[in-house]
Amino acid sequence: MKSANFEYLRPTSLPDALDAANDETTFLAGGQSLMAMLNLRVTSAETMIDLSRLSELRGVNETPDAVTLGALTTHAMIEDGAVPDPSGGLMPRIASKIAYRAVRNMGTIGGSLALADPAADWPCCLLALDATVLIEGATSREEAIEDFLQDAYTTTLEAGEIIRAIRIPRNTAPWGVYKVTRKSGAFADSLAICVLGDAPRIALTGTQSRAQRLRRAESALHGDLRAAILADLADADPDADAYKRRCHLATVLAAIKEAQS
Amino acid sequence: MHSETADRWIGKPLLRKEDARHLLGASQFVADLRLPHMQDVAFVRSASAHGRILSIDAGGAEPGTVWTLADLPTIHPLFAGPELGTFRNAVYPPLADGKVLFAGQPVAMCLGANRALAEDVASAVWVDVEELPPVIDAVNALAKGAARLHDDWPDNGFIHSVITGGDIASVADAPVRMRRRFKMNRQAANPLETRGVVAYRDHRTDELVVYTSTQGPHVMRHGLSIALGIPEHRLRVVAVDVGGGFGGKNRLMPEEIAMAALALSVDHPVRWIEDRNEHLIASVHAREHHYDLTVLAERDGTILGIEGSIHVDAGAYALWPSGPFMETSMAARNLPGSYRIQHLNIDTHTVATNKAPLGPYRGVARPGACFAIERLVDELAHELGIDPVEIRHRNLVGPTEMPYRTGGGLRLDNGDYPTALDKAVAMIDLPAVRARQAAGEPDGTRIGVGFACYTEQSGHGTVEWVKRKSRVVPGYETATIRMMPDGSAQVLVAIQSHGQGLETSLAQIAADGLGLTPAQIVVRHGDTSISPFGFGTFASRSIVFCGGAVTKAAAALAEKIRAVAAHLLQTTPDLITLRDGAAHGPQGSIPIPEIARAANIRPEALPEGMAPGLEATATYEPPESGGVFSYGVHAVVVAAHPETGVTRILDYVVVEDCGNLINPMIVDGQIIGGVAQGIGTALYEEIPYDETGQPIATTWGDYLMPCAPEIPSFRIGHMVTPATSTEHGVKGMGEGGAIAPPAAIANALTDAFRDIGAKFCETPMTPRRVSDAVALARGEE
Amino acid sequence: MIDVTLTLNGTPRTVSVEPRETLSDLVRNRCDMTGTHVGCDHGACGACTVHLDGMPVRSCIVLAATCDGREVRTIEATRKDETFGVIRRHFHEKHALQCGFCTLGMLMMAADIIARHPTPSEDQIRNALSGQVCRCTGYMGIVAAIASAAEELRGA
Repeated sequence: MKSANFEYLRPTSLPDALDAANDETTFLAGGQSLMAMLNLRVTSAETMIDLSRLSELRGVNETPDAVTLGALTTHAMIEDGAVPDPSGGLMPRIASKIAYRAVRNMGTIGGSLALADPAADWPCCLLALDATVLIEGATSREEAIEDFLQDAYTTTLEAGEIIRAIRIPRNTAPWGVYKVTRKSGAFADSLAICVLGDAPRIALTGTQSRAQRLRRAESALHGDLRAAILADLADADPDADAYKRRCHLATVLAAIKEAQS
Repeated sequence: MHSETADRWIGKPLLRKEDARHLLGASQFVADLRLPHMQDVAFVRSASAHGRILSIDAGGAEPGTVWTLADLPTIHPLFAGPELGTFRNAVYPPLADGKVLFAGQPVAMCLGANRALAEDVASAVWVDVEELPPVIDAVNALAKGAARLHDDWPDNGFIHSVITGGDIASVADAPVRMRRRFKMNRQAANPLETRGVVAYRDHRTDELVVYTSTQGPHVMRHGLSIALGIPEHRLRVVAVDVGGGFGGKNRLMPEEIAMAALALSVDHPVRWIEDRNEHLIASVHAREHHYDLTVLAERDGTILGIEGSIHVDAGAYALWPSGPFMETSMAARNLPGSYRIQHLNIDTHTVATNKAPLGPYRGVARPGACFAIERLVDELAHELGIDPVEIRHRNLVGPTEMPYRTGGGLRLDNGDYPTALDKAVAMIDLPAVRARQAAGEPDGTRIGVGFACYTEQSGHGTVEWVKRKSRVVPGYETATIRMMPDGSAQVLVAIQSHGQGLETSLAQIAADGLGLTPAQIVVRHGDTSISPFGFGTFASRSIVFCGGAVTKAAAALAEKIRAVAAHLLQTTPDLITLRDGAAHGPQGSIPIPEIARAANIRPEALPEGMAPGLEATATYEPPESGGVFSYGVHAVVVAAHPETGVTRILDYVVVEDCGNLINPMIVDGQIIGGVAQGIGTALYEEIPYDETGQPIATTWGDYLMPCAPEIPSFRIGHMVTPATSTEHGVKGMGEGGAIAPPAAIANALTDAFRDIGAKFCETPMTPRRVSDAVALARGEE
Repeated sequence: MIDVTLTLNGTPRTVSVEPRETLSDLVRNRCDMTGTHVGCDHGACGACTVHLDGMPVRSCIVLAATCDGREVRTIEATRKDETFGVIRRHFHEKHALQCGFCTLGMLMMAADIIARHPTPSEDQIRNALSGQVCRCTGYMGIVAAIASAAEELRGA
């Protein structure tokens, strides 16, 4: 199938892009989800604003505490170490398993966050890393990833707002990942990420809604972990059926095990 | 890689002649055709699973851009399916005729300067449908009071037939009776090239030219001729490069008829390229068998008989030419598999549902039958406490019993099934697998090993197809070999090579027959205007039938070449041999090009009374019309996670006997490709429908195609038992690889969880199904 | 219609497209280069893989307009390329193709795998081929061809 037609704009600066945007605007970053959805005519666009020429959305800013990645940073750049890794290896590992290499060459971390697919990798990973989303619109604002993610395909992004960058605190703590997919490159049925350290963080996605922190499990790492996870799952994915619960429990346990080993 | 003067090309792993164009990106598929003024077509498809069309609103489209059935020239009904009085026909209209019977059924066609514009037109067309209750489950579809698809049928059965062998009553008091249910779910063939049609009127030749991605251009022309009421000499059907078929391109589909009819109605070429979404919802669907079987056995594991039922979910219509009953009868008749099971009583139901119509896909029925019998054998082994390898040995047909008539009426011609099993057991290194299994995996996954035996009927001819009551009886193939004045030769055939490498292997056969090299031979196929009539490439038949026809035609041509040579060398034809590009007599040799030159352009050099020219046409059907049986054993080791249900293949062994090999490299390629598809059936691929009759898997995001990480490296062990009734001792083998993997993998999973008795009875064995089976066996929720 | 100016197979050109058109539409329909095949039109099969600024991308889910000012390379441009020549020969010798429809995408991916991993392991090759669907070969010949082509190219 082919996409319905739309108007196309390719601004060359962030202010121009913000000026051109309105309530009906669709932003194009890497387009690796959007283009497929357009081609299948499950979504449509009136006006498409192509963000690919916005230099403000590219590049890296490093501080002693954090690395800020431009929203247009591709999965492949993270996979290949072409940008600094604040995560101690976690982000390249996650990037390397997103979809397929040719998709990773185009797909961007900012686009993935903006779409907020509940089966996608970056929302979960950035939640586990306690990242902050830097947003441009009528005003500039920053928001913790935890607040930014609202529900399946829903974030706090207002119409006309653009993710400029993502700030990721440096992590040196051990981490673990476990992902269940029906085949290589498919979206996750369950993805759990555990980052240890002084304040352990465990994030889970593949839920009905959004990536979630598992707070009971975080504080029960040396206690009755299984019960804590099950209690978390009842909140994180309340509509999960028996298979999904088994699957989530297994991925969370495996991610913790890897982090602790 | 081989000497150009080798005296035998048959049996050599000759690299393929067809590779060069593909590797350069210079091949030509239907979508690559470029014709002036061509317009694209997008189909409007039913959104409803079942309903009555009240109206079709063109959505304000320009006149002439939206076409419904009423706008096309009269199309004659194409009756499909077996010629049996008990088979209820359901003619598939090229565009919906009053009712829609599945979501995805073509309703109207829209023209545009390109595909996107045609889709814009299609998206504005509004089809008002009075919804009727959808019929989704093949078993429930036969219940009293179920909604009916076809108003003139008493129920939803295409046909009910009892397939019997032996006398099941004679073993009714068998000491062991074990009942199991199995299901093999619905798939589509999913060649990487989807279907596609380009059609136009050629005023110069006064032909309707239909380029279509098909496995059998001549048969499709015949069907189009009936449907359109156009004589066949005014129809040309061409299959250019075809990007895979696997059975899915061996039926005349409504889109092909509608496109041909549209081309008659407009004065420019029209093109339709199926997209993947259309392929998944409206191409030839396959499988979807329900088995409810009881095995009757002795306590020592000797299987006496099988009784029970098979329901095949056949979808809404009968596809031309064969319809859906072949699937059902083959499933029942193949149930005894490789075993000495003489008593069979299977109640079969071929059922109409509100789904896309069923047709062939690599293995046709046998992946389901193999899944059922090989799972039954393992279940029986576990029930009786017998090792799965041992119980197979107790039941396999032995080499001294060949030829052996199975309980399903199939005549297994020859081979050594027990040795194949032993070889597979040895290759998989069973003791090492058991040791690893006992040691346990650090990540908590479970290891299991599974075996599956299979047979593959191939090269079956007139008698077998007549037994199936086939409307078209593909009992032979034809080949013409034409030698040009320079001694090079064309082989003109009616099969269609779409990955099987027949341009290479048929050239090897012709080269041996004519004393030439394959490089001096070109094989042309896929075009009704270049070859004599034939049926096409399907049912693992091309190397047996077409290879045989090429052998016969080459022999006839060689006879004439020898006669000319004898005349020129002043000897007798029986003393002439053809090899290395020359005719050799007792006293000297003469290059074949000189003979070709004489025969074609210097007739005065020919013996008196000999007709000029060097061309021969031959038809071929093997004398044993019931077919020859390739066979084999698959052995697989899997690792499965008990909670997530994710299953990985650690090792895969294929032991296989398809008689003599024309090109061993191509044979191995066919085996590996077939097994990969079988792994897709086993673990990944499925087209489910929801309760409203909507297909769930409509993209390759939902329908999972196995990729390189999902497919292991294979190890293949060959056995060679030449067929006695075919040319060169070959047997067909294109489908075999796809038959056994679902059974072998399910048996491996069963083995992995044997301690808790988890049951794996439905394909694909997705992570969810595996995890659920384990949980059920553990008594969890 | 909008104009897209890009370098296609080494030649600068300006092509008029509708905004909705993809790179595969541009290559196949506007420029009649049909070596790039489309197997799904939703980014799931890899047959349409081309190189954009030197990297493999799926041309069916890349908007043509976004390629303005960029460099696109399709299979047609590789016919005389020495590296591709080696890869092609190994595909031929290892029976890495049957129907040939996925082959162009496989070749474009193979060149990228070998460039990034001069000594690729079987796992690396298989993982990098994830999402490149071949329905015919079962991948064994493709994996073997990439491994042996890499070996030859490494020695060169």
